[in-house]
Amino acid sequence: MDELELLKKDWQKKEGMMPKLSYDEIYSMLWKKSSSIVKWIFIISIIEFVLPHLLYLLPSVRQGMDFYEQLGVKNLMIGISVFNYVVVFYFIFQFYKRYREISVLESARDLMRRIIRTRRTVKHYIIFALSLFLFSFLAIASAIYFSDGEHLISVLNLDDEAKDLSPTRLKALISIVFIIMGILFTALIGLIYFLIYGLLIRKLGRNYNELKRLEI
Amino acid sequence: MRKDLEHKFVTELENNQNIVHKVCSLYTNNRDAHNDLFQEITIQLWKAYPKFRGESKFSTWMYRVALNTAITLYRKSKKQVRTQDYHDFIYKIKSDEYDHTQEQQLKLMYDALKQLGDIDKALVFLYLEDKDYSEISDTLGISEVNARVKMNRIKKKLRTIVNP
Repeated sequence: MDELELLKKDWQKKEGMMPKLSYDEIYSMLWKKSSSIVKWIFIISIIEFVLPHLLYLLPSVRQGMDFYEQLGVKNLMIGISVFNYVVVFYFIFQFYKRYREISVLESARDLMRRIIRTRRTVKHYIIFALSLFLFSFLAIASAIYFSDGEHLISVLNLDDEAKDLSPTRLKALISIVFIIMGILFTALIGLIYFLIYGLLIRKLGRNYNELKRLEI
Repeated sequence: MRKDLEHKFVTELENNQNIVHKVCSLYTNNRDAHNDLFQEITIQLWKAYPKFRGESKFSTWMYRVALNTAITLYRKSKKQVRTQDYHDFIYKIKSDEYDHTQEQQLKLMYDALKQLGDIDKALVFLYLEDKDYSEISDTLGISEVNARVKMNRIKKKLRTIVNP
């Protein structure tokens, strides 16, 4: 006899051995909180959308605007911010639309595809946000490099520290520091983000790929 | 109106809870995890219930939601402690009609079943539940041919485990 048929026969006999919950036990479950991956993805994604923008509430970041003005990049920075918000709203709209499309009533493959697509929207947003972040740093670095050296020293209150250095070398030094800081911050935030992304989506991605591989 | 819906849903689920328990027993290794998964499936079923129009049987509709929930649920680790009492409850055969070798074979197969991946488990589960390939392929979202191919591979895998 086929082993699997044997298993099937036995499996169907097991009906009676399963636990049995009462009406009230099941009823109380209706009001419990879900812990599905879809819900987690929604919460974490919203945090990821909102978090970078909360930084603007910090006084030091707001004071940065004065610094940009004196450096002559204020308009560029405002431009970047406006562009940033337009794109952010586009991403949030896309995210919400895809999130709404997730339905547990679809086939396993379609369900997983939709979950992964929703999460991918957030991934693209993060890549965009990180690129813009890095670009801002590079823009500031080049603005410093091409700025008037004496003026820069007074803007940054570096009169004492700058005595031994020529303005040109000082400018180059500060630019390089900004570039390195920009790259380090971007890499760090990127690393944290992709760790969260990887952990959340790893198992799902594996299951999805298993189904997808079949269809090739 | 809402009370009616709640009552109807809970009664239907109470009568068909075996399906959910079987999915839970396949996808979890201890009682706590079993109960957590049961609860999550219940929540998902309840959330989707307004969309259930009675075009198919309630039980048929349950298979899809239960398996989708089990496959996509985020679990911290694959390695979970197996508590003995639960393990027994899954494969112990109380009937005398099997000879010793068969009992041994079944135990090996249940063990092997638990080691399959999430997708393979879903496939075998539907097979054991006597679903035809068109329903299996529809539930998983793959073609019927591929469902058969995959099922044959799993059969082979199980066979080598049982007859090394």
